[in-house]
Amino acid sequence: MMGAEKAELGLEGEAAGSPLPATKMQPLDFEHIGPLATVVESLSGRSKWRRALTSVRVVIFKAKINVLLPFGPLAVMLHYLTGKHQGWVFLFSLIGITPLAERLGYATEQLACYTGPTIGGLLNATFGNATEMIISLYALKNGMIRVVQQSLLGSILSNMLLVLGCAFFAGGLAHPNRDQVFNKASAVVNSGLLLMAVLGLMFPAVLHFTHSEAQYGKSEVSLSRFSSCIMLVAYASYLFFQLKSQRSLYSPIGEEEETSEATEDEEDEKEITQGEAICWLFVLTIWISVLSGYLVDAIQGASESLNMPIAFISVILLPIVGNAAEHASAIMFAMKDKLDITLGVAIGSSTQISMFVIPFCVVVGWMMGQQMDLNFQLFETATLFITVLVVAFMLQEGTSNYFKGLMLILCYLIVAASFFVHVDPNSSDNK
Amino acid sequence: MESPQIEMGAFKANGPQGQNGGLRSTSSMVQSLNPRRTIERVLRSIRIVIFTSKLNLLLPFGPATIVLHFAAKGHGLVFLFSMLGITPLAERLGYATEQLTLYTGSTVGGLLNATFGNATEMIIAIYALKNGMIRVVQQSLLGSILSNMLLVMGCAFFVGGIVNRNKDQVFSKATAVVNSGLLLMAVMGLMFPAVLHFTHSEVRQGASEVSLSRFSSCVMLVAYTSYLYFQLSGRSNVYSQIGTEEMPNEDVAEEDEEAEIGMWESIIWLAVLTLWVSILSEYLVNAIEGASDSLNLPVAFISVILLPIVGNAAEHASAIMFAMKDKLDITLGVAIGSSTQISMFVIPFCVVIGWIMGQKMDLNFQLFETATLFITVLVVAFMLQDGTANYLKGLMLILCYLIVAASFFVHVDPHSSDG
Repeated sequence: MMGAEKAELGLEGEAAGSPLPATKMQPLDFEHIGPLATVVESLSGRSKWRRALTSVRVVIFKAKINVLLPFGPLAVMLHYLTGKHQGWVFLFSLIGITPLAERLGYATEQLACYTGPTIGGLLNATFGNATEMIISLYALKNGMIRVVQQSLLGSILSNMLLVLGCAFFAGGLAHPNRDQVFNKASAVVNSGLLLMAVLGLMFPAVLHFTHSEAQYGKSEVSLSRFSSCIMLVAYASYLFFQLKSQRSLYSPIGEEEETSEATEDEEDEKEITQGEAICWLFVLTIWISVLSGYLVDAIQGASESLNMPIAFISVILLPIVGNAAEHASAIMFAMKDKLDITLGVAIGSSTQISMFVIPFCVVVGWMMGQQMDLNFQLFETATLFITVLVVAFMLQEGTSNYFKGLMLILCYLIVAASFFVHVDPNSSDNK
Repeated sequence: MESPQIEMGAFKANGPQGQNGGLRSTSSMVQSLNPRRTIERVLRSIRIVIFTSKLNLLLPFGPATIVLHFAAKGHGLVFLFSMLGITPLAERLGYATEQLTLYTGSTVGGLLNATFGNATEMIIAIYALKNGMIRVVQQSLLGSILSNMLLVMGCAFFVGGIVNRNKDQVFSKATAVVNSGLLLMAVMGLMFPAVLHFTHSEVRQGASEVSLSRFSSCVMLVAYTSYLYFQLSGRSNVYSQIGTEEMPNEDVAEEDEEAEIGMWESIIWLAVLTLWVSILSEYLVNAIEGASDSLNLPVAFISVILLPIVGNAAEHASAIMFAMKDKLDITLGVAIGSSTQISMFVIPFCVVIGWIMGQKMDLNFQLFETATLFITVLVVAFMLQDGTANYLKGLMLILCYLIVAASFFVHVDPHSSDG
């Protein structure tokens, strides 16, 4: 998540910024040195242009992933020019959102450098899954409730299986001589919290599938809404708890990257200024929203033209977008033998989705008048529970190697294949 | 007699000997028969047992229930009043049992605790069984396990975490893991008839579940007996920190447990309180149907959520208190131990009693409750593995319990004829 990316930038700037010294100096030149002259200078059109260009250079051209950026406008063009070829529109917008999501994470980190640890933590917690949230809200607006449920569930599955698996695998290959270790205690605590969050999410589904609700159809929705409010309260206390207790027990997990370990270790450089960070945050969010609109609209058409079930698209393909940034940083940290941060990224993101994004979507759906509920279908619910249980159990040992990573990836492939041949029992819900 | 000594908090050494007149001669026996003395002792006993516990403010609700029942027959109120009335009695029953165990050895004391620990739930369940309210029995016992694992533990962790805010509380991982493993196995034993039923694979629909349930119950009772034997035979010294049977020396030494009432007094109180609890339970059970109508609550909700509150009140209070004192091992022992006892003893016992009574009580809990129970026990057992507790965990457990309670609120039995 955020901490990971900040660290990524700080440590070697693998993904961003070779000419670090030059970048570092820019803000100093314009902001922190000199009196009125700088202010006048900064207001001058030419230097503003220069600053904007510098900012653009830092943010856009430093990350290698941004070669995918042109796909965004391409998707929009395709949509308007052809009106069909929804499959291509879908794929292009998918590829186009990925770098934006990553840059969003980067901008959030940068902003978090300026604000205190508390606000930084809150920022991370909110924007961490911004992409998933935006996609879900669009789908919700279109009434595609199943897509919302499946994409969020798929995001959790992807985090637990694919991201963790790739990280363990890559880390294991990078350190072939020994098993990597991570902090057992925090892994267990975090997976315990995730398990409880998943438990809270599952009861409406279990209620539905034991056919024992009082008013068929209506009570699941009321129960889901009630549970979502409770989960949001739980999330708020979870945030409160994490931000209050900056204890060494949890500091290896770099989820709130304001812990001093993370800051010291990774030499937080503020590559762009606070104002710039905020601007970029807005710009990127708007861009992501625009592309998400096209993405969501193209789902139906893509499913037909690409000949894939919607379930597959929602559960497997959509989360790739949201998780791309976390994926990359998790792998990178595993290779650097900092598995604690990897686990924090993966499990933390899953916990946030189950405790915040999903209940939030239910509440927003409530306000919008959509009948969004927590009634995931039996297959997905069972898959989610089993996955979280097994992975939580597997993490208890405190070690990892490439074999474990490979197993997780293979499990994910099996899950993906299951969704490929899966149709919803109530296919009328497919919208 | 030895009353002055008892009054000053006679210790174990003096108690039994003195009361049985071991050291004195016939004169003390003559004295003990003195009516005035007896009345004095009775009054003091009453004072100690009844008036020292704040919870006993709720005692008048008991008689009020009976009055209400005969007067107004407002079922909702009768139900609520009897619930409130039983709560202090259940607590005092626990107190009397503790006091008695101070006199008996650790073995008999352990057995006493094991039996009377869930006496309230057992009494309520047996009355419901007598009335043929099989679903109520199943749901109230299952709700008791859920309440122990989620609500009692959650409140204890939460309160303990807030009181000890500066650190995470720790407890013995090994014991917690072992105990939750036992509980998981007990729940597994309970679940097979239900799984059989829901995979529609029993040989003779309806009849096989009951036979399987009865067989499983006998097996579970054997398991329970060996569990008791194992715990009491000293083999479980490793587990001595778990104060389930409250006789580990740690407890006695640290909490200065004084025998506040004499041995015979404890026995008498035990009998009196059990009698009282039985009477009130009868009114309680009879009022369930009516309460469900008048209070507009599903019977499932009443059985799963409200009834266990009564039975668990005492454990609830003591678990929270121990958590505040940073003695989480005892809290866990109380919570998990009570759940294990219910699943390994009370439930199978009710099945057997039902067998004897000719009621078709079986272990076929409905799918929703079975799934809920299994998931809950699994998740909580997992969560206990890291050996620490803080207020967030407690809060999460409590919130999960709220969600479960809400699910039962909108839950109707598929076979509502059992309602």
